[in-house]
Amino acid sequence: MNFELTEDQRDVQALARKIIEDYCSNEQLREFDQGERFDEALWQELGKAGLLGIAIEEQYGGMGFDFETLCLLVEEVGRCVAPLPIVPSLVLAALLVQRFAHSEVKNNVLPDVASGKSMLIAALGDVDDCGVLSSRMQAKRVDSGWKLDGEKRFVPFASRAQLLLVSAQTDDGVGVYLLPSDSSGVSMQRHTSTAGEYQYSLALENVRLSNQQCILSGEQAASALFEVNNLGVAATCAQILGICDVMLRTTAAYTSEREQFGVKVATFQAVGQRAADSYIDVECLRLVTQKAIYAVEHEASQEALAACLVAKIWAGDAGHRVSHASQHLHGGMGVDRDYSLWRYCLWAKQLELTLGNSAESTERLGQEIAEEFKALEQ
Amino acid sequence: MQIEFSAEQKALQQEIKHYLNQLFTPELTAELAAAGAEEGGGPEFRKALRKLGEDGYISMSWPKELGGNEASAIDQYIFTEEIIRTGFPYPFLTTEACGPVMAQHASELVRETVVKGILKGEVVVAIGYSEPGAGTDLAALQTKAVRDGDEWVINGQKIWTSLAEYSDYVWLAARTDPDAPKHKGITMFVVPTDAVGFSMSPIWTLGSVRTNATFYENIRLKDEWRVGDVNQGWKLITGQLNRERLSLVTHGQAEELYLRVARWAASTETANGEMIIDRAWVRSNLAKVRVGLEALKLVCWKQAWAMDKGTLQMADASVAKVYGTEFFLENYRLLMEIVGQASTLRRDEHGDALMGALEHRYRTGSILTFGGGTNEVQREIIAGAGLWMPRGRL
Repeated sequence: MNFELTEDQRDVQALARKIIEDYCSNEQLREFDQGERFDEALWQELGKAGLLGIAIEEQYGGMGFDFETLCLLVEEVGRCVAPLPIVPSLVLAALLVQRFAHSEVKNNVLPDVASGKSMLIAALGDVDDCGVLSSRMQAKRVDSGWKLDGEKRFVPFASRAQLLLVSAQTDDGVGVYLLPSDSSGVSMQRHTSTAGEYQYSLALENVRLSNQQCILSGEQAASALFEVNNLGVAATCAQILGICDVMLRTTAAYTSEREQFGVKVATFQAVGQRAADSYIDVECLRLVTQKAIYAVEHEASQEALAACLVAKIWAGDAGHRVSHASQHLHGGMGVDRDYSLWRYCLWAKQLELTLGNSAESTERLGQEIAEEFKALEQ
Repeated sequence: MQIEFSAEQKALQQEIKHYLNQLFTPELTAELAAAGAEEGGGPEFRKALRKLGEDGYISMSWPKELGGNEASAIDQYIFTEEIIRTGFPYPFLTTEACGPVMAQHASELVRETVVKGILKGEVVVAIGYSEPGAGTDLAALQTKAVRDGDEWVINGQKIWTSLAEYSDYVWLAARTDPDAPKHKGITMFVVPTDAVGFSMSPIWTLGSVRTNATFYENIRLKDEWRVGDVNQGWKLITGQLNRERLSLVTHGQAEELYLRVARWAASTETANGEMIIDRAWVRSNLAKVRVGLEALKLVCWKQAWAMDKGTLQMADASVAKVYGTEFFLENYRLLMEIVGQASTLRRDEHGDALMGALEHRYRTGSILTFGGGTNEVQREIIAGAGLWMPRGRL
């Protein structure tokens, strides 16, 4: 049993925090409240510091740390609501390539991802499913390779990315394809999400790809998507944890200063009790998130899945409760766009509904439990 | 991070499971299933407790110089969790809260009789803190001890003195300086329950569990029955609270109910032939229980780990207490919904011990949110010590 970070991890955390905080003051973030929510300079700075390649193996230009360490970076992005595509790029896309693609693909793709020279974005999710496990996009074999048709939705940063990672249904299971975002037949429609992020609907129409561009197929693709879904969920929980922790501390600090009826607002018991409930939520979220991050690396796949579902349900529920308690206890300041809290609240909601919300995760966990116990009875 | 037990800890867990399995003879199981004996005190309970003492489990986490093995908090937690899982009414307050404090601060007489008896599993101690006018505000207690030569004369009344009906002693907090500030005039005593002037009357609770009002009428005790310095009792009361709070909310028993309800649902058919566990809402309830349980387990593990590291924060024990006790109530409700109306049959109506346990637990669970330091006060502690928020009137 050990809940402690290693010294190296603490160094990474401190470095990430320092760089990100330097770019994410309230004034700096305001510049990204309109238009595309992406801080290119910060992204490049993280690339220079080696942090974009934190979990990419050294032979592909990264620092070779584990997923747990990458999640520390993700948590810091959450803490600062930094305008970066951290999970869709560094987790869902880069880790899929690193863990499952051939070394040639890794050689071609990962060094530029680690340096920040090119952006790789995952477009794995389906039209009506927040997870990445199913796909309605169709891939058909044609003489020289593959032909893709169909739609992907909610793809952040698609127009910024040089490379897209797309999953599609073939006659023989699912496949994963790597394609330049400007491939012929790819069109994008932009949407703005509740958190102000540009997300794209991708329409692929008669997109022709070579055999090499199909980087995974069959069983291997299915298990890659399963694992990457877990990694994405665990990392998203880390991001929500960062967001919730800051909302909680900000609320405690604000109510400790703000006065009404001649006393600090925090001295009203109703205020202290509600803040304490948020504290309990954040502590529970921290622990189940750490467990999910640990489980995806060290435990059997069904246990990892269960740990990720548990964490995502906590993240959704705690994120919702902490967000609204924070807004409420701030009074008007909580919704004032001159103050910082509003961005956190929007991001908590955005991520609550990303990669599986509480209700659908509860259904899936229930399914897993039923299978587990029915197997025991047989 | 390593968020699971080490190989040694897993081995210890298996060893303890095996040991407890042996401990549970059919006679003990039958005794604890009988109405009124579930909180312990019967001959089989006494026998099992003595065995736990002989085999070194009671002294497991005590300091070496007090006759213990100084087991880590995690090892101790593994034991606590497993024994609670079995439903054995292990007297934690005696072994974890009173025992080590007495061993450290008591006279030769108390150490030779009471402490040795605790370690052997022969002595059970009831807690005499609360009074009709001193609950959450414990330091407001009025029971008096007045010095008379080499003796103390004790007068007063305690309430919720659980287990007093079979305890050998009461660990009593009494006011020895009525003029001092209220936290500074309290002294601790060990009162034998056969002392002249000691009496009790039972209080039957909603959960069918007996507790007691205990009365102290001109009880004369030699000074040797005092523990710690005069007027320094408050520190002894609060010193062991963290371990006590952790043992209140171990996840073992709640998890055991979950496992058994899930097994039952996976092996029981409804009238139309589907398995109970295939109903969508049953799965959803089981998932909700699992989500809550996982967090509780981790909260407890983290605390035990932090105790060993010496980094346990004041707010942590309060988080476990509030979260755990409120989750228990939700847990019982979700599981009872799955079992349906059968879960409302009294425990002795059931052939199946589990289903009876569910009915029994929901009725006894409600005391935990206010017992052991009411949850509102725990939240005040969290806001103050965890978030540095200024306190209001308390």
